Amino acid sequence: MTWAQTIADALKEHEISLIAYVPDSSIHQVTKIIDKDKYFHLVSATREEEALGIAAGAYATGRNAAVFMQSSGFGNSINAVAGLAIPSRIPIPMFINLRGEHGEFNIAQVTMGRSTRPILDVLGIPHYTLDSEERLGEKVKGALKLCYASREPLALCMTPLLHGGKNV
Amino acid sequence: MFRYSATKRIISNLEREPVVSNLGPTSDELWHASDRDRNFYTYGSMGLCSSIALGMALSCDEKVISLDGDGSILMNLGTVATIGRESPANLIVIVWDNEQWAQTGHQKSHTAFGTDLEMVARSNGIEKSFTVADEEELDSILLQALNEDGPWFIVAKIEDEAYLSVAPVEPEYTLHRFRQTFVDNPERVG
Repeated sequence: MTWAQTIADALKEHEISLIAYVPDSSIHQVTKIIDKDKYFHLVSATREEEALGIAAGAYATGRNAAVFMQSSGFGNSINAVAGLAIPSRIPIPMFINLRGEHGEFNIAQVTMGRSTRPILDVLGIPHYTLDSEERLGEKVKGALKLCYASREPLALCMTPLLHGGKNV
Repeated sequence: MFRYSATKRIISNLEREPVVSNLGPTSDELWHASDRDRNFYTYGSMGLCSSIALGMALSCDEKVISLDGDGSILMNLGTVATIGRESPANLIVIVWDNEQWAQTGHQKSHTAFGTDLEMVARSNGIEKSFTVADEEELDSILLQALNEDGPWFIVAKIEDEAYLSVAPVEPEYTLHRFRQTFVDNPERVG
């Protein structure tokens, strides 16, 4: 099974059926699976903080929702995490493609990519780095279980070692 | 039109419909009008009120009402495009438009200089977009919106008024209370 299918299956197992996202070429490997599967409603947001708002609304009405974004987009959505998800205790799994890792070609992606995990630490948000297919299902399912048990946002950071990265 | 009076009138037209309110006075006034378990007050994340309502509308069968503001929605006009794209029949967005950022010192907003939020909504495919200037008009459009498919986008022009006291709201509690009205199985604890 591909890493992308493993993640899509883990979402289903946790009854996460609404996915709000801003497109990214690497996470496209997952979102294209989600888009084809009638179980999911894939919502294309114009900006990452909007995706978090949509996911928060879904959870408030009893539907589990996750967001997919790039690390640059995490930068766009910090206040939605700090001012909405955390104070209201809304569990939103955030799948973040870490740009700025080894193999990065774009200088503009480096600083936000490198800052993403330290910012998550400052916000007190648990995060896990997904950099291999080894024990991936176990890692993702465990993280999702923790997210809903703790009722707080949680991040799953995906690196080029997992998805192959973007080369041009 | 004054927002608090109009808010009370909106609530009097509702039964169990979920309502999301923009941060600050809009949430305070909703709380003072009626602290329903179906109210979702926001106290941060400015700009996301109607995005939250969109997420709700895509996840439940009931009419969902967003009480947004001009300053807030100007911060996140992209969500108007997403509402147009998703086009949920059960979403009713009401934008209180006082043409200013009132709470921060009455600085004029872009709607005071010609930005027409109704036209913004229309150009994003939300055909049922209207601008209303008094409570009677708002009342009649809302009654229609509660009974006909949307999405609806209602710009309600309002005037300045004195603020009420800050609602003693605990976000964690109101989210939990709101959510419990939608889920069959209460969340397990422990």
